Formats: sequence, C-alpha cells, structure tokens
Amino acid sequence: MLNSQQSDALRELGNIGAAHAATTLSTMLMTNIEMEVPEINVVDIGKIHEHVSDEQAALVIFQIQGEVSGGGYVLLHIPKNSVVRLTNAMLGMTELDRELTEMDQSALLEIGNIMVSAFLDATATLLSIVMLPSPPSLVIDMPHAAFESILAAQDYAQIDQVVIFRTELHSDQYKISSNLFLLPNKPMLDEIIGMLENLMK
Amino acid sequence: MPGPEEQVVMVGIGEYHIGRSPMSSIGLGSCIGLVIHDPVNDIGGLAHIMLPDSQGRTDRPAKYADTAVEFLIRGICRQGSKPDGLVSKIVGGASMFQSFSGNLNIGDRNIEAVKIQLKKFNIRIVAEDTGGVQGRTIVYYPVEKGKISVRTADGNIRFI
Repeated sequence: MLNSQQSDALRELGNIGAAHAATTLSTMLMTNIEMEVPEINVVDIGKIHEHVSDEQAALVIFQIQGEVSGGGYVLLHIPKNSVVRLTNAMLGMTELDRELTEMDQSALLEIGNIMVSAFLDATATLLSIVMLPSPPSLVIDMPHAAFESILAAQDYAQIDQVVIFRTELHSDQYKISSNLFLLPNKPMLDEIIGMLENLMK
Repeated sequence: MPGPEEQVVMVGIGEYHIGRSPMSSIGLGSCIGLVIHDPVNDIGGLAHIMLPDSQGRTDRPAKYADTAVEFLIRGICRQGSKPDGLVSKIVGGASMFQSFSGNLNIGDRNIEAVKIQLKKFNIRIVAEDTGGVQGRTIVYYPVEKGKISVRTADGNIRFI
C-alpha cells in the first residue's frame, strides 16, 4: 500500500503537523511538550486491535474537509488517567479524584480544536491546499470501538488495510500523554501521496 | 479439554475462530460479535462482523453479515455439531457518533442483517446485547455453557 519513500514523505508531513499541534498545546499549558517520532503503519483490519486498545480514553474526532478528495479523520486520543490532569492544567484545578464534568468536556473539545486545526493548517500549507477540521465529536469510550465504527462508516467493503499515522505528545511536568492519529481513506491517501511526490520532484 | 489457564484467542475485525477455548473480540463499536454455540458439544464459533453486505466478495466471509452466519454454521458442523442444535448470541452494533456524514446507522444495519441470516438458517437467538452508544469487549467461553462476558469502557461487566 505504501513504499518506504512514500512512508517517509508521509511521516515528514505528519511530523510537521504534529510539531505545530505540540506548540499550541505547549502554549495552552505553558509547559514543555515532548514529541515522539511519528509511526506510520499499514495495518490489516483484523490486526487493528494490536495498535489500538479497548482502554477507556477521551477521543476528540474530526473529519477532514476542504480541497482534498476522499475522506479522512484526525483523532486526538487522551488516555483516561491523563484526561483529568490535562483539564486540571487547563482550568487551573488540582483535584485528581473527581468525575468528569461538562467543563472537562468543553476543555477537551477546545484543546482538540486548537491542536487539530494547527495540525491540518501546517500539513495543508505544505501541500498548498486548504484542509479544515469538521466540528469535533467527543467520545469517552474504547478507542478500538471508535476506530472500527469510523472505518465501517466509510466504504470499507472492498478494503482490508488501513494506514494509521500516530505520534505521541507528552508533558513530563503534568504527566500527560496524548496521541494524534491520522486516518486517511484510500482516495485521500493517494492524493496526499501524489502531492508529496510532486513536491519532491 | 482446555485448562482454565489457556490463552484467549483474539478475533480481530473481519476474523473468526471456531473451537472450545475462550475467544475474545475487543472494542466492538458498530461491528457485531456473533457467537454460534453448540450446547450439546460445548463448542462454538465467534465472528467479528464489520459490514452488512459482502457485495459478492468471498475471501473474508466473517467480515460481512450476509456471509458470516452460514460460514460459521458450516465450520462448527464440520467439528461434528448438528445444525438444528445450534443457538446464537449477538453483541455490538452500537452507534458511537452522531455528527459525522457517512453510513451512520451501520450498527443498526449490521444487527438487522445478522438477524435476517440467523432466521434464514433457523438459528435461535438466546441472548443479545446490542445497540446503544457504548463500545463493548466480549469474551466467549464455549465450555462454560457458552457464557459471554460483555465489558464496557466504564468497567461494567455483565454476563449473557
């Protein structure tokens, strides 16, 4: 589905996007955010459970819209134990052992919006196109269940493989970790790869 | 006979397993975990169904509702079970997102398509945990009377 050169190009594109997203998170929390080298995996649908778990997490999910064909999703994944620490840091609270409220949900949507907009802006600028996030959807549930629902809602009848881009962002000061996932469908992936190959000519 | 410490077989999206050992599908969203169980011989199968309609594809029978049911029945009967003794349980078919375009009612369509096939093959549904908005992780235990544990992300576990 991807040769190593295409995979490298996609990783570099995602790297630039994720770095911008990390900067916005860093500004919001006023702390240093470390970023891992992005992973690109071509995964058979039957093996998605090896990459995405059923451990409860907050997922802020955006559909990619704009001047790009096909469809794709960007997901901000925050494991449950990081959620409260993240919203506490945002909202200036300290209590860790508490239920999530509407305030937390608004904060998560806001963080997701800002980070994902930065991610898409940076990647679209590199490709000289416009990519915009849809309004976000927040679920606090099993990531695997969310992934398979997203894939099933697209046309995956004839497709058995999916490209998963993932990069991890974390703050040592607040002990927060999060992952940015990019999940392009085949037409979108092909178009982005085509644009990247033109850029490298 | 398998011991209690035997490893659980993971059944990923579009995959299946038939046997006596415990088997699991994690994070069922709009997908269906279909169990067909033989209570006489303590054997059965689990299919992790993703979509209602195979559109003629035959290479991944467990991925689609219209092919998975017959495929699972045949597989279990090859192990010596009689088709008229089989029963079924279905889990999943949730609707996790409201606000995106695309096939949003895919969970409901999956449930309906599985039920149509079960009816066609005269397989009784003895338990069901479907619909709603939450993901589910299941473990099916063929030798424990076909019991299935259903866990949601908030940590609740129920048995069907």
